[in-house]
Order: sequence, then structure tokens, then C-alpha cells
Amino acid sequence: MIRIELPAALQPLADGQAGLEVTGNTVGEALQDLGRKHPLLLSRILTRGGQLRPHVNLFVNEQDVRAERGLDTPLRAGDTLLVVPSVAGG
Amino acid sequence: MSLDQRLEQLRGEIALVSPSEALARSRAGALLLDVREAEEIALGLPENAQAVSRGYLEMRIAELAPDPDQEILLLCAATTRSLLAADDLRQMGYYRLGAVQGGFNRWKDEGLPYTLPDTPDRDALQRYARQLVLPEMGASGQALLGKARVLLIGAGGLGSPSALYLAAAGIGTLGLVDHDRVDRSNLHRQVLHRDDRVGMAKTESARLTLEALNPSIRVQTHRARLDSGNVESIFADYDIVVDGSDNFPTRYLVNDACIKLGLTNVYGAVQGFEGQVSVFPAGGRPCYRCLFAEPPPPEHAPSCNEAGVIGVVPGIIGLLQALEVIKLVTGIGETLAGRLLLFDGRTTRLREVRLGADPECRYCAAGMQFPGYIDYAHFCADGARESESNAPGPDPR
Repeated sequence: MIRIELPAALQPLADGQAGLEVTGNTVGEALQDLGRKHPLLLSRILTRGGQLRPHVNLFVNEQDVRAERGLDTPLRAGDTLLVVPSVAGG
Repeated sequence: MSLDQRLEQLRGEIALVSPSEALARSRAGALLLDVREAEEIALGLPENAQAVSRGYLEMRIAELAPDPDQEILLLCAATTRSLLAADDLRQMGYYRLGAVQGGFNRWKDEGLPYTLPDTPDRDALQRYARQLVLPEMGASGQALLGKARVLLIGAGGLGSPSALYLAAAGIGTLGLVDHDRVDRSNLHRQVLHRDDRVGMAKTESARLTLEALNPSIRVQTHRARLDSGNVESIFADYDIVVDGSDNFPTRYLVNDACIKLGLTNVYGAVQGFEGQVSVFPAGGRPCYRCLFAEPPPPEHAPSCNEAGVIGVVPGIIGLLQALEVIKLVTGIGETLAGRLLLFDGRTTRLREVRLGADPECRYCAAGMQFPGYIDYAHFCADGARESESNAPGPDPR
């Protein structure tokens, strides 16, 4: 199982949950699994074309997936995928 | 035993070292400690000497000389306090001890090298006493704070705590940019301001608060909305920028100007119970655009006004920004450069992720020419994907 952790702003799109368990061998697969249950949430993370939105960062065990292999970054059971979108409040 | 008798006895027990011998030994690894008071140190500090007033000697010696085998030479104005200090250290287990004969007076007479340190004045000695005593800070760190020129973008939820603590810490020149006026709905988080200042320009309210807190610093206010036409002239007088703005166009503008002018950008942003902090070094790599290449489409990004924020959260994030500024200025510790700190106030959880530079960042990648300022409002209003390449050059507004 992979744990996806969400910021508060996205939690309403996941029935209020801060974290969800999904399956997948890559970041992309884990997100697709997430999207099966929560398609609106997925659309906040990926563009319609399936690319990671430029204002969203994904971290696997604290490493930025863009610095790895993006959506092809491999995942292992027990990994945590942290979703960090841009916020601007001050 | 009278003082004279005790000194006579100590002269027989503690090695007396000439100033030139002390200099040679300190260059070879001996620890030379100047135990005079701050106002005496102001007249000159011997080369290689560390100033540690006699009152704090026992408290600081373990950190200055963790090894009991360390050779320690003590220096005062003549040879009285140094002998007494050596006696104190002897009782703490140090045994390779010496007192510099004739002290700083003879050191100077013999033409040996010394520096004129930046010493705090009387007001500063009192005001900053509790941070001056920190070994990492000391008078030299305080002097660096006094010379620092720090610009806060926004005198709001993030800028308020940053400004208060940076002013209190003695940042010599503190600038604030804000175009807005104080509104009552600001006061739950913007603690620079007060109820009786509702309607006043935030920059003016901030100045009143900060000058009342610390009259010895210079507060410079820029009552303006930051744009690509004024950003360089405002940033020109500063070394560090603290981004406490509340909107994406300003954040991208601040980033781009910091890259162009080689300024460090101390980033903080909040929403609801959550906050983010990082440091984007001068020249970037990484910069804000490496982290967030583009702003979210507006429908994905409610502002603080719409989304709400608990006042303590920008308080915490703004203070973390202030801490980063103090470390950047003094060189103490390790900054957040290359790391992003994420705070969740609902669980009181702080986590850290690693930030790498985007090797293709259009603003800070190696060998990249500055592509120019863009139409930030447009860039952020519709999440326009190609606005940068279509609209290079200065913002037309």
C-alpha cells in the first residue's frame, strides 16, 4: 500500500480525509488508483493531458519526484506520497 | 589573604608569557582569551584572541576549550585579572595555563597586531544583552545584524511577526513595502497594527510600532504596490528580501527581481492552518520558480481573504522567516536553502522535504540570461501557460 497525504485545501475532494491508501508501482499508477475513487481530486493534481500540474509538487519520502523520474518514479509498499500545491497567503 | 598576597602567590604558580610569545603560541594553536570588559575590548582586541568577559569565563570555557589538555593563555589590561582567571580555570581542571604579562597595554606598546572590533554601544549592550551573550552571536554577530538591510514584502500576517522580531533583534535597516491600509479584519494576525490605527497606511502603522520597539534601527517604508516598474529601485537598497506577500503575481515578481539583482529570498506562505517556509539563495538554484513553475489557475487557489487563516499560523511562519534572516546575516547554523518546511497547525506537525534546482528553470538555471519581467497579473489571472514567451520585457502596467 502507498499512503497519499493531502493538504487541507484538497481534503474536501477526498471525503475530508488527510491521507488515503492506494496501490501502484509508480507515482503515476498510484495517482490513477486515487483517481478511480476521487476523479475531481486527481484533476487538481494532473492536467487533462495527464501531466503533473506546474503548481503542484509530489514528494516520495521527502524527495521531489520531478528530480527523480516524474510520474514514472517507482514506489515501494509503505512509501508516502506527499502532495504540496502552491499557496500564496500572507 | 590580601589581593597582593594572592597575586604574588599566583605569579609563582601560573606561567607568565610575554605578549610576543603569546602571539606565537596562539598562532601555533594555543587559545588566547581576552577577559577584559566590552568597553575595553572596544579599544582593541589582540590578533587571534577571543573576547570572553571574566564574568562568563567559567560558563563558556567548556565550549571554547572542550579539551582539558588545551593550552590556554589569558590576557587582561595588565596582569591582574588574567592571573585570577587562570586560577579559576585551574580549579576547573585546565592545567596548561599562562597569563600574558603586561596584558593588552604591553601588547599594544610592543606594536603587536590587534583589531578594532565592532563593539555595541551602551544602549546596545543592554538591549541585546541576552543575545550578545550567546557564543554564536557575540558582538561580531550583533554588528552584522546592525549592518544588515532587510526588506519585508508586506506588513501583513507574515510581515508582522518578522518585522517585530527583526527590529527587536537589531536589524539595522528594515524596509517594508505595502500599499494597503489597516483594516479591522487584519488585526487577528497582523500584530504590527492596532485597533486605533484602522484606516492608517500599514507602512506608517508599522513604522510607529517598530520605532517604539527599537528606536536604534532605521525603518524605511515604501508605500506602494510592488510592480515591475518600481521593484528594482525599491530592492536596490537591500541585501535580503522576505516574501510575506499575499498573492501570486507579487511572489513571482519578487522571485524574478531577486534572481536578477542577486538577493536572497526568504519565502513564506500560509493558508488556513498550513504554512510553507524556505530560503531561495541569491542567484536561485533553487528559486521559487523551481518549486512552483507556474501559479495555479485561480479556481484552484483561494486567497487568504476567501479561504481564511488562523492568525497564529502566519505568526509561526513569519517567525521562521525571521530566524532564517538572522542566520543568513550572521552565518549561524544552517539555513533552509534547498529544503522546504511544511507546517500543519491542526496536527502541529512540521515536516521537511528536499528542494532541488530545476535544471531547466528559465530564471535561475546555469547560463540562463534573465528573460525579463512579465505581465504578472496576466500570468496569474488565467494560469496562461505561454504568457512568458509571448510577453517578455517590462510589465506594461
